[in-house]
Amino acid sequence: MSDLEAYRTKAAAWLASMVPTYGKAARQGLSEADDLALGRQYQKAKFDAGYAGINWPTEFGGQGLGHLEKVTFDTEEMKHGFPSFYFGISLGMPIPVLMQFGEDKAWVKERVLKALQGEEIWCQLFSEPAGGSDLAGLRTKAEADGNGWKINGQKVWTSWAHYSDYGVIVVRTDPNVPKHKGLTYFWVDMKAPGVTVRPIKLVGGDSHVNEVFFDDVKIGDDHRMSPVGGGFAVAIATLMIERYVATDSAGFGPHLDLFVELAKDTELNGRPAIADGRIRQQIARNYAMRSGLQSITARAMAMMQAGMTPGPEGSLNKLVAVRSRQKLSELAIDLQGSDGFTYDNHASQKEDWTSSWINAPTGRIAGGSDETLLNTIAEKILGLPQDHRPDKGVPFNQIPA
Amino acid sequence: MSILYDEGQQAIATESRRVIEARVNKEELLPLLETTGRYHEGYWATAKEQGWTALALPETYGGLDLGLIELGLIAHQVGRSLAGAPFLTASFGAAKAIELYGSEDQKAKWLPGLASGETIGTVAFANGANALPARPGITLTGERLDGIMTGVSGGLAADVAVVFANGSGMPMLAVAELTDVTRDPIASFDNSRLYADLAFKDTPAETLAAGGAAREAALHILALQAVITAHEQTGGAEAMMEIARDYAVTRRAFGQPIGAFQSIKHRIAELYGLVELARANCIHAASREGQSDFIIAAAAARISATEAYDTASRDCVQIHGGIGVTWELGLHLHTRRARSLAIEQGNLLFWEDVLVDRLTGEAA
Repeated sequence: MSDLEAYRTKAAAWLASMVPTYGKAARQGLSEADDLALGRQYQKAKFDAGYAGINWPTEFGGQGLGHLEKVTFDTEEMKHGFPSFYFGISLGMPIPVLMQFGEDKAWVKERVLKALQGEEIWCQLFSEPAGGSDLAGLRTKAEADGNGWKINGQKVWTSWAHYSDYGVIVVRTDPNVPKHKGLTYFWVDMKAPGVTVRPIKLVGGDSHVNEVFFDDVKIGDDHRMSPVGGGFAVAIATLMIERYVATDSAGFGPHLDLFVELAKDTELNGRPAIADGRIRQQIARNYAMRSGLQSITARAMAMMQAGMTPGPEGSLNKLVAVRSRQKLSELAIDLQGSDGFTYDNHASQKEDWTSSWINAPTGRIAGGSDETLLNTIAEKILGLPQDHRPDKGVPFNQIPA
Repeated sequence: MSILYDEGQQAIATESRRVIEARVNKEELLPLLETTGRYHEGYWATAKEQGWTALALPETYGGLDLGLIELGLIAHQVGRSLAGAPFLTASFGAAKAIELYGSEDQKAKWLPGLASGETIGTVAFANGANALPARPGITLTGERLDGIMTGVSGGLAADVAVVFANGSGMPMLAVAELTDVTRDPIASFDNSRLYADLAFKDTPAETLAAGGAAREAALHILALQAVITAHEQTGGAEAMMEIARDYAVTRRAFGQPIGAFQSIKHRIAELYGLVELARANCIHAASREGQSDFIIAAAAARISATEAYDTASRDCVQIHGGIGVTWELGLHLHTRRARSLAIEQGNLLFWEDVLVDRLTGEAA
């Protein structure tokens, strides 16, 4: 058994031992507040067992292991439905950026340790009402204010802001230069005066994203994590962290086996639906698509193990998997016919077709929309030209609204 | 088998690409479309000279003892360059059937010639829409074949065929020398595949497998061939994607390269996704030879590669506009090949059923 397989076996055993306390059954019926409290305990348990900050440097309280161990653990963890998503953004982007760009190392270490143990949560304040895909078009501004800065504006789609202690934020510090050049990167205290968080209820019924308003929020210059005007580079660095993450060829929807079971159990025109060519074709095409994604992931892992850099095809997973999941979920609801109207907004989107369907659009938009991902593939991988961009090189305050 | 190509395998890919690109070109391929019975002889001479015919056959019989991964890499390059002549897949299928299910005498008789490429083999299983028919089109009585096999790829040139026949109520896998068989050439949209109807009349044949074992053996041979064809299709799809990309960055309209329009660039990005999924499935399938999930992996490779090649050839022509449908530009070589390869060794419908039967436990 390779070292990595040994690691996987040990992690899988530890995760299995956590199921009675933190698994799906234990979470059943909990309010979000109680579920978050359970999640904090689970995060602490991970920290104590050496499964938090797996690939982070030991000087910040991480385990100092490699990316492969991290992806291996995440892949195993994903199978169980633990209350870990509250910390996904926090530990996925803001904290790694803080470790990389934070100036006061002692303070940084304190924050990292608290975040790793689930005591503190960080959010990422990037998207705005006027710009999601067009990140550099953001309008929230920070003006010099004595020795520090004063922030005014609004962010949106901020995951877990309502539970967050801190956030990282990109703001405009100079509107007189082209849009990418007038941005600066800071951290903010989410409990500071002038910060207002308002949850947004999404179509699936949950409210994990928020609007965040900044009204004369004053911060010191020691909150600054980039050169003045150099914020865009740090923002991109944030988005480039964890280029290879644990993927799910089911697009975070139900496994194909569940669809096969449904088709076996459903009668269509007096025969099992599994005998219907239209259903069979969708099963076959979905299987081929998912097995292709799995093979891409397996190859990327093997390359990393061999010390090689995986190819860019890893970027296909979300694009291909989520929209396929959306269509397959529609077909699954079709298959249930008049039995398919039921809806339980607590059902898991990995197990329930209706929950998978209603939440699929979020997956196709968040973290890079399908269209943005296609642009990235076209431009970065295939060398196709950028779109026509009338705002290019134009000072931000002269771009036609 | 690893899913990472080792140095030797990478060298096979690089070298075969170099050789094929140097020796096969569009100007030679286009005239082959307008006549039956001709293929690119330079390509086949190269395949023999380079040992590609021997690649995946046992050393005892003049082979090189390599496998699907290596032959797949060659097929990928063949697909990129449309090198044509179906024998790489057809001869390989016939040889594997004889190697896996034949007697020592049969192996000694056929394999050395198939390995050197001096003997050309083919596989004749299909009956119209049915790649593996419940009632094969030809009958095996005693050791004699009678009946017509339609649309046999490579049929105009093959010296030996492995056939799926009806032997007094049960399927039979048999091998037959084609010397005295009547070959009726098919005027096809892709003539260098040498399609022919083969008329067997009291033709001597030797049994390789009978009954359920014959069906299982035939499916296994089809799957081995399908993995090679899937590589060829992926190579073709990759070429069409690259041709589309190259055109989109150079051709200008409305004051900019047409690749700056999202209707064009997204289409090409989608092709990239299809090509990479097909490639990943091909690599996976080639690494699963001999494993219990091989048929499933082969079906997945075949399905995604067929989808990739058809879509890439369709979209590449569309992106070119009018020039794309000219004879001279030759994109239609790929359009044609995408369809001929989609049919050989079982169409999408066949492989979708094979796959779903296995996923649902309907097939053992």
